[in-house]
Amino acid sequence: MTTTRTEIPISVARTAPGALPQSSARPRSRGSVGRIVGTTLLTCAALVFVSPIIYMILGSFKPSSHALDGLSAFAPTHLTLHNYSGMLGRFDSSSTGYFGQFYLTSLIVSLVVVGGGLVVNSMAGYALARLRWRGRQAVLLSVIVLIILPFQAIAVPLYYMLNDLRNTYMVQFLPFIANAMAIYLFYTFFMGLPKEMEEAASIDGAGPWRTFVTIIVPMAKPAYATVTILTFLTSWSSFLWPVMMVDQPSVRPLPLEISVFQGQPPYDWGQIFAFGVLMVAPVLLVFLVFQRWFVSGVAASAVKG
Amino acid sequence: MAALDAPPRPLVRGRGRGRGRGRGREARAAGLMTLPAIAGLALFVVTPFVLAIWLSMHYVNMQSILPPRWVGLQQYVMLFTNPAVRGQFYRALLNNAVFTVVVVPLQTGLALALAVALNQRIRGTAVLRTLFFMPVVFPMALVAVVWKLIYSPDQLGMLNSVLHLVSFGQIGPIDWLGNPHTALAAIIIMSIWQGAGLQMVILLAGLQEINPALYEAASIDGANRWQQFRNVTLPGLRNTLIFVSTVTVILAFQLFDQIYILTQGGPQDSTTTVMFQAVTSAFTDGNIGQGAAITVIFFIIVLAITLIQRRLLREEREVQ
Amino acid sequence: MFRTRRVGLAAGVACLAMTVAACGGGGSTQAEAGSGKGTITVWAHDGQPGEDAAIKQAVQEFNDAHTGVTVSLTLIPEKTYSQTINSTPASKLPDVFEFDGPSLASDVFADKLSPLTDLVSPQTLANQSSSATAQNTYQYKQYGVSVIDSGLGMYGNKKMLDAAGVKYPTSWKDSWTADDFQAALVKLAAKAPGHKALDVQENTFPGEWASYGFLPIVNSTGHRVVANNSAQDLDNPTVIAALEKFASWRDYIDANTDAQAFPSGRVALSWVGHWMYPTYSKALGNDLVTLPLPSFGEAGAKTGMGSWAWGISTSSKNGKAAGKFLDYLTSDKIVSAYTTADGAPPATNSVLTTSPLYKDGGPLHLFAEALQTPCGASVPSTSCVAVPRPVTPAYPVISQQFQNVIEDALKGGNVPSLVHKAASAINLAYQQNNNYGQ
Repeated sequence: MTTTRTEIPISVARTAPGALPQSSARPRSRGSVGRIVGTTLLTCAALVFVSPIIYMILGSFKPSSHALDGLSAFAPTHLTLHNYSGMLGRFDSSSTGYFGQFYLTSLIVSLVVVGGGLVVNSMAGYALARLRWRGRQAVLLSVIVLIILPFQAIAVPLYYMLNDLRNTYMVQFLPFIANAMAIYLFYTFFMGLPKEMEEAASIDGAGPWRTFVTIIVPMAKPAYATVTILTFLTSWSSFLWPVMMVDQPSVRPLPLEISVFQGQPPYDWGQIFAFGVLMVAPVLLVFLVFQRWFVSGVAASAVKG
Repeated sequence: MAALDAPPRPLVRGRGRGRGRGRGREARAAGLMTLPAIAGLALFVVTPFVLAIWLSMHYVNMQSILPPRWVGLQQYVMLFTNPAVRGQFYRALLNNAVFTVVVVPLQTGLALALAVALNQRIRGTAVLRTLFFMPVVFPMALVAVVWKLIYSPDQLGMLNSVLHLVSFGQIGPIDWLGNPHTALAAIIIMSIWQGAGLQMVILLAGLQEINPALYEAASIDGANRWQQFRNVTLPGLRNTLIFVSTVTVILAFQLFDQIYILTQGGPQDSTTTVMFQAVTSAFTDGNIGQGAAITVIFFIIVLAITLIQRRLLREEREVQ
Repeated sequence: MFRTRRVGLAAGVACLAMTVAACGGGGSTQAEAGSGKGTITVWAHDGQPGEDAAIKQAVQEFNDAHTGVTVSLTLIPEKTYSQTINSTPASKLPDVFEFDGPSLASDVFADKLSPLTDLVSPQTLANQSSSATAQNTYQYKQYGVSVIDSGLGMYGNKKMLDAAGVKYPTSWKDSWTADDFQAALVKLAAKAPGHKALDVQENTFPGEWASYGFLPIVNSTGHRVVANNSAQDLDNPTVIAALEKFASWRDYIDANTDAQAFPSGRVALSWVGHWMYPTYSKALGNDLVTLPLPSFGEAGAKTGMGSWAWGISTSSKNGKAAGKFLDYLTSDKIVSAYTTADGAPPATNSVLTTSPLYKDGGPLHLFAEALQTPCGASVPSTSCVAVPRPVTPAYPVISQQFQNVIEDALKGGNVPSLVHKAASAINLAYQQNNNYGQ
């Protein structure tokens, strides 16, 4: 149950190029022929796997008639930037919303959910893990019970309850800040931390708040990273809730907008792909740069279980 | 999520200080630290859940000035017996079940195969791993839009033109999402594509938890690779596999985004799901009570799955 | 309201019940007249590019004219537009909102639309065409004004029709029977490059189009989709046979994924409304012809009518200013602009008689011909052509159900069971809502 492994549960960093296939850590590797065959197969599989992504990226640079044209869509011909300018040109007034606005909405909502969530949930996790207070057991148990209640199970009543707040940023982030799963992840992480430093701080007269802020938070970076990535991915792709709560372009997040955009005449698939590329590019970039954190964050949430 | 271990004792702190004062301060701090979370969960999770039960016993129309009308269990009875509703509801349950039964083993199997294959010191695995994981950072809404074109019904569609090519023109264009026999399968394949990378990463992490000494011992005993997989890898991954498949089961029951964008439950309800029906009842038909009733049934299903998972994990602990 | 619900579930529910009851009372709340100045908010549907441009332009010009009223416009996607209006509480609606003709009854029932008397000028109301006035009146009060009406029929590619040797009707009086039409489809498909003959805008499914575009099939058999708070009339062997006939043409229908089936010459016929006229006439020029829809039964060929209209919300505090904007929208200038942008039949008398598209001999006169012989709410018969969609608060459900029937029938579903299921669902909606107080 220790969490130090969150840092590098996956050997992304460890597979240094040219490292010898040593028997200790993993199953022994096959002979070189088998290895070449295996690698080739895997590479082919990976290419097939990413082909939809390549399809989207290439299509975004082609006129609509070539973007949707069977296999020849993969040929890097007829490339143009028209889809991007055309697509952005369709969001040219406040009545349809601006492309930047959709971005801003997604960003604001995700940042508040992630940022607010980190503060709120880590505090709660800490109080549950380390402080003594009446009702602790009951709250802990409730949190654990609430983990199994998926958002989908409460979406309809929540829609009924919060309908007066529809078309606001607030309604998009408010229900997601306090998160039972995040509280529990922080709780287990704090449980696994050594107590010596806190005891020392306590002897120095530090109260719970100061201990939390100055000792615990700096030690808990891996937990914060994990929760950040998990809540960000969920929040950034959030779809069901915006479908129910948002119809104004000024507060429409990206996933909702792409579903709207692909259903609006004129149905220009080149432009739709351009939208998709712009929508996913920054996240993809962040993912590629901080891949190790993404992967370990996602994995840590599970191995914890 | 093996959550119900005995909660560890709180840190005994501040022995040298006035006990009462320390405790009071601690309790106050704990109150403040947990307040926002407790308030949030109470307001936005517990309240709506209770409200769901209340609503499911009423007829409430959003597009109506009439107040909610008490109907008892009629919404539930109707879902299971009324000919106008029941067909779609049973179909939704069935579709969710089929989706689950197909996706869980296929996706887990694929993810396991990838994880095992990539858990080797072969040059380039890091790159391959990135490629397989990439779809995970794509929002499902975007994935659905891209796959809408892949599944495009005519010869312009990517999948159709690939099949046309490899079958030398024998396989004609298929309306993947428009044919009731292929629509759910199409959704399943797309969902596996998006979800497998995530599972793969979790399983990779699980693989690295397995003590390398076990493999050493097995190979000294003369076990071949398959035997090692059967006797070392699989048992070592048991918990991770249970976790991964339960999460997938629950995700399978939440199936909504793809359906909303690609098929709207059609054709002929062949891709309708419990969540999709809950949302359309509440939202399109304005029948909030029925949507809430479906939601409650959905929760009972999820609860049952979770309890089964807990049971499996506990059994394993007893075995050890 | 949100804060009050924090008190707890019971209080929240009680509060909600009270607010709901408080704004009850029959559903004809009048918007406040207000000062007639200031900013008003407007929601419109985001549909055809031509219409979008027209409304944006109209708002721009209105704002530039400095009438003391400023309009802030929001476009909401057509596919979810009615859902948006349905789920937005009356208090959160903008001053002015657009609505699709048949949802008027439902919006009045929900107390969202204000009667227009005293808010828009009498001249505006008097200049509305008779079909527009009929559409926008419910229980003897007028709740909306229209800029455009709608026309529905088929566009043909003259070159392809001639090449296949297909003779085609040009007036509703001598429309094809379903069998004639089928024979034409066979001939056309044989000559077409992809062996398809017809486009029915399947790429825009699901949506209101599937309901608007194909309800005439039902009406052509002499039956109505609902009558006397029941869909009994829909679940009828004659209607089912007609729908089965229509669905059997699925092999001749191009999926139109790229929205280019007709303009690029893959098919010779496109079953669609007036709104495709600008696109099609640009693509085909003089080869573009209009045809009536085929007839499926004893009532003869039928078509649709009715379109988006504009109303003032009951929660508006600035009804006079909103009325000024509606007066402006229905002025000759804007109506003509819409008609040009969109090919739509004008909904005002003054433009109807002068429009180059719709006057006698104009390229879209066929649509005007249909609108001149409306059927109203009575049983469709050979004496009329254009049938409005049913005016009832149940329309959202009816439309949803009928869309499913059409969509699934085209995908090969069993028509009798589809129709039966839809009829039961519609009947259930009437039951659950106590017949919407009718």
